[in-house]
Amino acid sequence: MALAKRTPKRVKNENLVGYLFISPWLIIFLLFTFIPMLASFFLAFTDYDLLGSWKFVGLENFDRMFNWDFRYWNSVRATLKYVVFAVPLRLIFALLVAMLLNTAHRGVYFYRAAYYAPSIVGGSVAVAVMWREIFGSEGLINAIFNSQTVWLGDPRFAIWTLILLAIWQFGSPMLIFLAGLKQIPVDYYDAAAIDGAGIVPKFFRITLPLLTPIILFNLIMQTISGFLVFTQAFIVTGGAPLDTTLFYALYVYNRAFETFEMGYASAMAIVLLAVVAAATAVIFMTSNKWVFYASEEG
Amino acid sequence: MKKALFLILAALLLLPVGSAQTELRIAWWGSQNRHDRTIQVIEMFEAENPDVDIIFEPSGWNDHWTKMTTQAAGGNLPDIMQQDYAKLQEWASRGLVVPLDDYMGSVIDTSTIGEAALAGGMIDGQLYGVNLGTNSQTVALDVDAFEAAGIDLPSPDWTWTEFEEIAMKLHEELGIWAIGPGLYGDQMWKSLYLGLGEWAYADDGTALGYEDDEAFIAYLEMIQRLMEAGAIPTRAEDVAEFADQGVETMPVVAGRAAMDTFWSNQVVAVWTAAGEDRNFKLWPLPRTEGGVSQNYIKPSMFFSVTKDSQNPELAAEFINFFTNSLEANDVLFAERGVPIAETVRDGLTPKLSPAQSEMFDYLARIEADNSPIRPPDPAGHSDIVSNVYNPIIIDQIFYGQIPPERAVEMLRQEASRILAESIRVKGEKAYFEHKLRCALKLEREISNILPDSTFTVGTHGRASLPRRTPFL
Amino acid sequence: MSIRPLEQEGTVTAGETLETHRKRSRNRKLRTSLLYHAGVGILAFIMLYPILWLFASSLKGPAEIWTNVSSLIPRDLFFQNYTNGWKGFGGITFATFYRNSFIYAGLGTLFAVTASAFVAYGFARVNFVGKRFWFAMMLSTLMLPVQVQIIPQYIVFQKLGWLNTFYPLLIPMLGGRAFFIFMIVQFIRGIPLDLDEAAKIDGCSKAGIFFRIILPQLKPALITAAIFSFYWTWEDFLTPLIYLNNPKLYTVSLALRTYADPAAATDWGAIFAMASLSLVPVFVIFVFFQRYLVQGISTTGLK
Repeated sequence: MALAKRTPKRVKNENLVGYLFISPWLIIFLLFTFIPMLASFFLAFTDYDLLGSWKFVGLENFDRMFNWDFRYWNSVRATLKYVVFAVPLRLIFALLVAMLLNTAHRGVYFYRAAYYAPSIVGGSVAVAVMWREIFGSEGLINAIFNSQTVWLGDPRFAIWTLILLAIWQFGSPMLIFLAGLKQIPVDYYDAAAIDGAGIVPKFFRITLPLLTPIILFNLIMQTISGFLVFTQAFIVTGGAPLDTTLFYALYVYNRAFETFEMGYASAMAIVLLAVVAAATAVIFMTSNKWVFYASEEG
Repeated sequence: MKKALFLILAALLLLPVGSAQTELRIAWWGSQNRHDRTIQVIEMFEAENPDVDIIFEPSGWNDHWTKMTTQAAGGNLPDIMQQDYAKLQEWASRGLVVPLDDYMGSVIDTSTIGEAALAGGMIDGQLYGVNLGTNSQTVALDVDAFEAAGIDLPSPDWTWTEFEEIAMKLHEELGIWAIGPGLYGDQMWKSLYLGLGEWAYADDGTALGYEDDEAFIAYLEMIQRLMEAGAIPTRAEDVAEFADQGVETMPVVAGRAAMDTFWSNQVVAVWTAAGEDRNFKLWPLPRTEGGVSQNYIKPSMFFSVTKDSQNPELAAEFINFFTNSLEANDVLFAERGVPIAETVRDGLTPKLSPAQSEMFDYLARIEADNSPIRPPDPAGHSDIVSNVYNPIIIDQIFYGQIPPERAVEMLRQEASRILAESIRVKGEKAYFEHKLRCALKLEREISNILPDSTFTVGTHGRASLPRRTPFL
Repeated sequence: MSIRPLEQEGTVTAGETLETHRKRSRNRKLRTSLLYHAGVGILAFIMLYPILWLFASSLKGPAEIWTNVSSLIPRDLFFQNYTNGWKGFGGITFATFYRNSFIYAGLGTLFAVTASAFVAYGFARVNFVGKRFWFAMMLSTLMLPVQVQIIPQYIVFQKLGWLNTFYPLLIPMLGGRAFFIFMIVQFIRGIPLDLDEAAKIDGCSKAGIFFRIILPQLKPALITAAIFSFYWTWEDFLTPLIYLNNPKLYTVSLALRTYADPAAATDWGAIFAMASLSLVPVFVIFVFFQRYLVQGISTTGLK
């Protein structure tokens, strides 16, 4: 009897506590994010050109996007290529360097700053000029490899300059890996040392498993931001040449702000949302196999 | 915790109280130079009108349009916005900028302003923007380069045939490019037909304005010949180094080309970057054999009054001050182009630098021989340029993907469709019928183009180019 | 004679004295150290090269800046780039822009990180109805390109009358950022439940557990979030662009973009100078905070 009465109250309490804790996010979301997202969903089925007058057009935007717009497929190709190469490479570098910098060697602080520095430069005008100069006809790259390649103008290579730019800015995931490494209790390593374990077993038995929640996080976040890549193309190449760097989000921006096709741009945006959500869901679903949470295992 | 949150939110919602002055907001794009000058003029106006408080909103070019577009959607446009010839029609047709005819001649003194100068801002007989500086296309000739190559300066009414000859000769003699990229821009397409007595667009903006594609094909083929000979940069080189970059990177600046084409009001920046010791002469565009001048007098930019302005008359007063006050223009110093008011031009002439004198002089010469300006680019122009002209005409042809005839055909089909669709903006039902008729099949044809794996990228003749040697 | 476990000394070859063995392992350590520094150092230089280039360009005068492009060493030091750039435009100097940026980045970081930690705890350690749904919603906010959200969001803020103020920039930070919430959730899930349960037995509430147990163990995560948050808000220009009309409110990131006009003469030296300068605060924050990225918790806290 007493048992049955206790449980509902505890559950009710937990619901209240839970919502209390997430209330900051929930309130802001409902006030400022929810409506714009709904608006985007709605606009995707309309023809809206800024004046406030919109025409409902059903699936026409989608029909046009998939069947009639050759630049759309250019943007899909460019984005996929970017995601496939930039995301894994970036993660691998980030993890390797984080491990290298998780030591007590002298100067580690300086190195950490050095490796993070590129990310700080971010998406400023200066980065664009700098990157174009380095890959320019008389830039550093051509000087080193003694070539005459027109990197930014050649449809085969231009996207690689952007992929390289993304990899160069691996500081952010690196920092997160570092924080993750730092959070692994020293006691585990000490215990392993006492048991006579060497470096390699330590890595595979302690470091890697305990790092998996962070690896999952970085994997998902990098994938999402990979699909939504915008700034690099916007400031460095503008989508050229031959649309090989016309990333999806850049094309959405063009359609929205250059030709005032808000409805069409919204349609493109929700297609992207669907794809990214699907990719994320897949990663999450398969994560049970390889992610280890210290708070959930025995 | 929650209570505190609510209290904070409530407190933050308190808005600042309004002031007693009339507020005017002005937005423009430019560089630091322009911002400083414009703000100084604004302060001069505020000094003369103490009950007016002007909030200025400068930006870079791209950001200006992002911001304006957003504000338009939110119904929060500034009183005055700087406008562009290529976009004016799109904004006017959506009612985002208002006609200024009521103020012309009264609030805005037009006594020393020629009709031609204002024509560029007229749409359907109404004035939507006041010209802030006159401009025309030009081919800048590096006189020293011509001398070094032993070529006489051409006559002002030179033809494209003569141009091609000169270009080839310059390249042969000097080993550098004859002219920078820019021959295939959409501006040149429009000018080409202007020189044939027509225009790229029909006057009502619902279709292309010409029938004869051959002329354009011949022109594109000329560019191909020049590119193959190495007399002009390849498209790949253009994209990598020059396209969308500042004027300082133009080839003629560093002596990598003997000529370059740009807008006359950019000559100041170009000349400054190239060095005081250079010697440039501004020349009109070449023309087709038997055709008329390809030059037209174009407003470099406008000031327009927007639909959200609460004080349009005050805004007009400011525009008047900007346009007619000699004091103000002493500060502005023709940075946006040649001023439209004759009294202002006369007042400035004695104080001009060599580059500016050349610019003023050039406009005077063009005024003697030009083709009348056509209405501002129709709604759909941005779409055509971004999604049809640039990808198909410029990229597809000059990356060696498709021949000019095919590209020009597709330009016609696609542009016609887009222009016809733009009728819808004026609210006519014709849009739906036209779309059904006007063959979306044509768009499907274009979508069958996939990038080839072989591109003509080339480094034509690069090996023989001396690196960045200016002349002198 | 000190007794140390042999494992820490490495292998001892037969016939060697302890002295020579220690000398050998010291040499080995020196070699690995050198290799380490060589490899990591060279890579660090490659990472830093573009930034060094930026800094070098900021010291080049207008004559050099486009003619002597690739070199890292300017021919003449042209410090005027900094003074010219600092002047800003229309009498508004970079002092104003820096002040605005610090307000935006500083407050924004404080709000975002605090709120994110709070919310993350709710998602990670509390079970409530609809948790999965809201978590998915939160993640989905990251998946819609911001370009299509700007205009509807703008209209919302316009109806609230918050245009031309800092409110649209700062208030949303009070809800945390999805990126940080997700990140901290993952960190919390990596913390074993033992301490939580011990505390619960002692009568601690969920909130108590959050403040006493979880928060202290989140230091690395919170530091990282703070660094990111500062950097992201510092370099964000889109939100300031559309919500701040008055140039007196412009942030550094926005001011930098206001100069660049491809059609007119741009003072690139000044832009590079100000861009280099704008890196300094972010760098300082990073250097200052990273010393707190210390080795984390030990489970001896259980006692």
